[in-house]
Amino acid sequence: MAQVIEQGRGRARGSTSGRASAAHRHDGRLALILITPAVVGFLVFFAYPTVRGIYLSFTDFHVLTPPKWVGLANFRELVGDDVFWHSLRVTLYFVLLSVVVGVLVSLVTAVVLHRLTRSTVIRALILLPFLISGVVAALVWSWMLDPQLGIVNVVLNKLTGHTVMFFGTSAWAIPSLALISVWKSMGYNAVLIFAGLQTIPATVYEAGRIDGASEFQMFRRLTVPLLRPILVMVVILSVISSFQVFDIVQVTTKGGPADASNVLQMYIYDKAFSQFDFGYAATMSLALFVMLIAITFTQMRLARANESDLN
Amino acid sequence: MRIRTLPALAVAVALTAVVSGCASSSSSASGSKTINWWTWDDKQAAAYQTCATAFEKANPGVTVKISQYDVADYFTKLTAGFVAGNAPDAFQNSVQFFQAYASQHQLLALDSDIAASKFDMSKFSVGVDAWKFTDGKQYALPLDWAATGMYYNATKLAQAGYTKQQVDSMTWNPTDGGTFGKMVAHLTVDDKGVRGDQPGFDKAHVKTYGFGAIAAKDFIGESTWSSFVATTGWTLGDKATWPTVFNYDDPRFVQTMDWVRSLTDKGYAPKIGTFTTSDVDQLSSGKVAMETGGSWEASTFAKIPGVKVGIAPTVLGPDGKRAVMSNSNGNNIWAGTKNPDLAWKWVSYMGSEECQSAASTTGTFFPSIPAAMNSSAKAMAAQGVDLSVFTGMMTNKVLFAATVYGNGAAMQDAMEPQFEAYFAGQKNDDVFATMQSKSKSILAGNN
Repeated sequence: MAQVIEQGRGRARGSTSGRASAAHRHDGRLALILITPAVVGFLVFFAYPTVRGIYLSFTDFHVLTPPKWVGLANFRELVGDDVFWHSLRVTLYFVLLSVVVGVLVSLVTAVVLHRLTRSTVIRALILLPFLISGVVAALVWSWMLDPQLGIVNVVLNKLTGHTVMFFGTSAWAIPSLALISVWKSMGYNAVLIFAGLQTIPATVYEAGRIDGASEFQMFRRLTVPLLRPILVMVVILSVISSFQVFDIVQVTTKGGPADASNVLQMYIYDKAFSQFDFGYAATMSLALFVMLIAITFTQMRLARANESDLN
Repeated sequence: MRIRTLPALAVAVALTAVVSGCASSSSSASGSKTINWWTWDDKQAAAYQTCATAFEKANPGVTVKISQYDVADYFTKLTAGFVAGNAPDAFQNSVQFFQAYASQHQLLALDSDIAASKFDMSKFSVGVDAWKFTDGKQYALPLDWAATGMYYNATKLAQAGYTKQQVDSMTWNPTDGGTFGKMVAHLTVDDKGVRGDQPGFDKAHVKTYGFGAIAAKDFIGESTWSSFVATTGWTLGDKATWPTVFNYDDPRFVQTMDWVRSLTDKGYAPKIGTFTTSDVDQLSSGKVAMETGGSWEASTFAKIPGVKVGIAPTVLGPDGKRAVMSNSNGNNIWAGTKNPDLAWKWVSYMGSEECQSAASTTGTFFPSIPAAMNSSAKAMAAQGVDLSVFTGMMTNKVLFAATVYGNGAAMQDAMEPQFEAYFAGQKNDDVFATMQSKSKSILAGNN
């Protein structure tokens, strides 16, 4: 195929070489013009804010007065800031819960979908929570989990005689938030895994069946290993989005009670937009950025994401 | 040629659109004589519209635009306005953010305007000193004053056998809670109808709490524990204005907090997070029999359909006296306003007896000018809302001014989680020493 194209090009070049070079003389300039909007967008909305964010992390900046260079003072503050380390632990707990539970639930859902139904309607229904905005999802869940009026607590009270303050107690705050996060992202992850499942040839399962493997054995020995590249992608995407959780926390607990759900993004937002300490908030953002890069690279190396067992 | 000009044209059009889009938002303000005024209170926004109409009539060609933003976003939006250069000409402000804005030169000092227009500051009975900065200058005219009182479900109190006189003269001390403590226990009722002071009371299934949310994360306790602890002689700061430390580790404060926590432990008051509805809803739904609330809520409480709400003064402390914190919001002018003279004209008009009397007839705020306060109280009485408890606080001199302090946002973020942890039983009395030393560091500007 490639050869055919190569030959075709050769013929075209051979027959109209003079005119073609004249016609393509200004292609470079045209290309530059065409990519200008993208480059401008990249520079204005990505490169400049990134560089400025890094610069601000070395300054004392309270928005209303110009930034003042303070060198590594913010980083020293970061090392000794108990709330930052507490927030990091809270975030890691949230990431762990939402990624582990989320991927497991999505995997099971996708496999069930794959084995039992071909219905696009059901697939679309599974995807629905993902299409709802985080703020709306969090608001609806905060009503459903309300200690006095929420339907979940009304049912719990009928069954057990007790209610649970899902967002009001330190022990429950993060698990409740993780539940919302899992509910919201489950459909999207399930559809990704479902797409991965469809790439596994039916012959593999046929061979498994001939060898007398049970449904569970085929899932463990065939499906999971063959799905690895997709699973790695889903895990990495889940880890990154869980690290960046903000909207559902802002709507439900606002970091409380007693900082129990004060995830990093929430703490950064609070420092910047409530205390106007933008310099220190930039330092924390930079720390989060570096952490996410490190985690992503480690995950990709460990999981050999670019290799597949199918070839 | 055609191929090359097309994308170039597209880029040019796109860029023009972007540039003109940016410009159009700021150009409309220049040239026209519009005064923008912001508040976070929807009821005050409506109330001050009366003044705005009168001001526009007296100053032809001038438009006053009143905007209201929810308090949760108000200060973020205000700061964004300072940075972007489109903040309002004048705005309602809370003392919590006074220092942050004044120290960053966003507020206009009003001294020269006050002197030039011979504005009489002595007509304000409260709130003037709250808006004097460390440089000795006056940065705002007080907009209002607020205090706290006890709101109670009159039917529930009558059922429990209490008279109005008993509620009006409740005593309190941090050791056994005084007559107030006994009353709260008796007013609490569990699902089976057993009262809090009777044997067999089930604190895990409370139907009506004797008292509302007193264990709160609010670090100055304005409408929660402040009117209790203040009767012991305790003060928040080491000085009334610009303190260097908050006295959280004072034995009187610690003892009061222990007593507050004992109320929630016994099931007489809800723990933090029990209710997500407003205090008005809690009282009207019968979940709470009595609670402290702000003076600004008086007309809302009085107008709850089907529920008779009484207003009582706060408790008499160990020495038989009451102490109630009074807080005054201020009316600031933005340093970046294009119309400083007109902004002052509007702000000083808002600070006149005429405007204050007209706007406060809605009962949504108490004016700082006594004459206007009287006319407001009369107007409210005609609507069936008795404000005598609050006006009495003014004449009986039980009010003390709220502490004016710096770094309010940092203080709030540092202290609220500590109060939550303490009231949830995760931390003990030793947390107050930590909080006191943290307050010292924040007030010194090291957050």
